[in-house]
Order: sequence, then structure tokens, then C-alpha cells
Amino acid sequence: MSTSIDNPHFLLRRVHSLLGLIPVGAFLIFHLWENSQSRLGAEHYNEQVVAALKGMNYLPLLEIFVIALPLLFHAGYGLVISAQMRSELLRYRYPRNHLYWMQRISGIGILFFLLLHVGMTRIQGFWDPAVAEDLYTHMQALLSQPWLLGVYVVGLLLSVFHFANGLSSMAIAWGVTTSVRAQRLFGGFCVLFGLLLAALGLHGLMGFLR
Amino acid sequence: MTEQSIHLRVRRQDRPDSPSYWQEFKLPGHPDHNVVSLLMALREHPVTTTGERVDPVVWDHNCMEEVCGSCAMLINGVPRPSCSALVASLTQPIRLEPLPKFPVVRDLLVDRTRIDEGLKQVKAWVRIDGLWDIHEGAPRIGPNEWAANYLYSRCMSCGCCMAACPQFGPHSDFLGPAPLAQVRLMNAHPTGRYDARERLHAIMGDGGLSDCGQAQNCVRVCPKEIPLTTAIGELGRQTTVQMFKDLFGPS
Repeated sequence: MSTSIDNPHFLLRRVHSLLGLIPVGAFLIFHLWENSQSRLGAEHYNEQVVAALKGMNYLPLLEIFVIALPLLFHAGYGLVISAQMRSELLRYRYPRNHLYWMQRISGIGILFFLLLHVGMTRIQGFWDPAVAEDLYTHMQALLSQPWLLGVYVVGLLLSVFHFANGLSSMAIAWGVTTSVRAQRLFGGFCVLFGLLLAALGLHGLMGFLR
Repeated sequence: MTEQSIHLRVRRQDRPDSPSYWQEFKLPGHPDHNVVSLLMALREHPVTTTGERVDPVVWDHNCMEEVCGSCAMLINGVPRPSCSALVASLTQPIRLEPLPKFPVVRDLLVDRTRIDEGLKQVKAWVRIDGLWDIHEGAPRIGPNEWAANYLYSRCMSCGCCMAACPQFGPHSDFLGPAPLAQVRLMNAHPTGRYDARERLHAIMGDGGLSDCGQAQNCVRVCPKEIPLTTAIGELGRQTTVQMFKDLFGPS
């Protein structure tokens, strides 16, 4: 008799689902909260946020195993899952059908945004000491360009949507919400959660524009 | 033709491998027509609007009371059983197409073997003979549980939920909502419970439960209003528990 352990299909999906919340989603909350401190000015941001994080114990290991690898797995396996989509948005105009489509499209969008975002900050910091030393000024210079600010706003909103919507479908996949009522209530909670997180993220972006 | 004549457009296909084409028909109106009786009337005089006499349209039908599921097709772009599609309630011209995602045999007749394959794969039945005592009559079941189970017993394997599912089709081996809902039903049955673990393992493999993308089209198009997405949520819970049992025992 085959069991769920012999065939990795189920476990891979559940790992993909879980990683979206922990650590990737949790990191997104932390990241947006940290960056919302941009409103307190360059000095506070560079010292209390950036320098404090850089002084963290085992930082490279945390960056690789808690952020980079889970994110890469979630993104890579997400791309594999997306290939199964054959959505007919015009034939079935139900909200959830659109959210299903958006979840996959936003995932691909986020991937492009993250390549740009990580490349312009963390990766560029490897050879450009000015980026690492005064991240606030660097971000200010980046976000002062209207097109790049637009890219950041879109990237932020896609990420927040993907997280909030993923949370509501994760609850169904794991069997937390089963009844129509529970799924609707938790969906409403996820909308509020997403709006709050989007506001936090936008506040953080605005803090660099002072 | 009378004023109330019925305008019909049918997507036809002569062979499984031949290209499809549209044909238009006009039939005398009748207030009681459903799509099946309309196709029966067309069968008597299969003449297109251009006056050409053609082969009668092939389609599948049986019970005429929305319990056998064999007459499902795409009516004005929506998958639904044609026997319960009343012509008076449809906007004209009425567009009839074969049920999507399933291979076309001819015209509106599709091969729905894949539904049966799915039901077999998940063991959607109750073994009435086995190692346990079966001489005491059916085990009793509470009215609340019975009422919940009854919703799933209404499935007639019409395939509408699978046709509307963006994850199901020739490109994927996803079982689709209908066989999954039967796992929910059989796992709740007092005798079917004995095979619950095997059914869960069947839907934890390739093409199983986790291929569901939560688009929830299935529950919107189901003609029997089966709470398919609730079944999927409940199976999510059952498989979560089964996963922990498999990983940490006892299985």
C-alpha cells in the first residue's frame, strides 16, 4: 500500500504551503515593520534598524536558511504549480476564480520584483560600501525616481496580496476552515490583514521620501 | 417558422480527431422544451438554417430528471445538465457545445471515462463484505451526520465541476472535485470508514487533493448544489491528520 510518505507529492505541496507562512510570510511582516521605521529619519534607520540587524548573531546563516532557501523553494515549486493553471476568467466570473488567477500571476510578478529589489540592495551592498553604510540615503535615491517608486509600490502590493490570499487558501488546504461561513469569515480577516500590511509597507516607502 | 421559433447553434464534430464546426438551426417553439427534448425534436428534422439536411446531432441522455448526469454539456458557455435546462429560460441563440476537458466522441457526446477512473482510484465505494461482522444490519447514524452526508450522496457524476475546474483537464492528472467529494462521503459512512486511510492515501498521491487550486468554480456550477469546497476543506483536515500519523505514527 502506498502511503503519503512514499510519494512526495503531498508533502512537497504542504511544505510549499507552510514555507509561504513560516518563514517567508513572517519575514515579510518583520521586513515591512522594520522598514516602516524609515519615517524616524536617516540616523535612526541606519543605526537602530540596519546596523542592529547587521550585528545579529549568525546573520549569514539566518539569511541563507531562514530567508533565501525557503523563498527559493516556495518560488520554484510555485512556478511548477502555476503551470497547471488553465483559467477561464471570462467564462467563470466568480471572485475566487480571479483570486486563484491573481495568486499565480502575482507570484511570478513578485519573483521579478525580488530580483530587482534584492539586486539593488543586498547584492549591490557586497561591492558598494556606500549602500551598506548608508542604506537610508541609497533607498532615498532609488525611490526618488518615479518609475522605481512605482515598481516598489506594485511589488509591495503584489507581495501583500499574495501573502493575504495565500493565507486564506492555506486555511482551506490544511483543513482549518471547511464550512462556507468559516471560509468567508477568514477571507474577510485576510482582507483586513492585507490592508493593514499594505498600509505598513506604503508608510515605510513614504518614510524614505521626506 | 412561428414567431417563437427557437434559434440553436451547435458545435459539431464528426470524429474524435476531426476539427469542430458550428451549425445553426431554427425549430418551432414549444413552451415545455428543455434542451434534451429540443435536440429530440431536431433529430426528426435535422435541417440547418441554410436548408441543408445534415446528420442528426449526437448527444448523451438518459433519465430526463437530473439524476443520471449523462446529458451534461456546455449551454450558452456554462456546463450544466441539458435535461434541466429549460429553453424558455435561455437566451437565444442557444449555444450548445460538448462538455469541455473531456475527449469528444462525436458532436455533443464526450467520453467521461475519466470520472469513473477517478472514482476507482479513490475507492469511492463501501465494501459490504469483509472481515468484520456484517450480520447485524447497517450501523446506526445520527440525523445531523446523515443530513450532512446526504448532500454528497446527490452527486450524479455529470462532470460539470470538473469541466469548470481550472486545474483539471487533459494537461493534468488532477482527480477533480467529484471523486474527492465521494471520499468525504465514503469516509463518513459507518462501514466505509474502515477504508478511510486507504482513500486518504489515494488522494495524497499524484493528481490528488493538493492539486486543488481553490478557484472554487466547482461549487458554483454544481447542478446538485453539493458543497464541494467544504468537502475539500474537510479532506484537507483529514489528510493533515493522516500526514502526522504517517510521519510520527501510529498510522
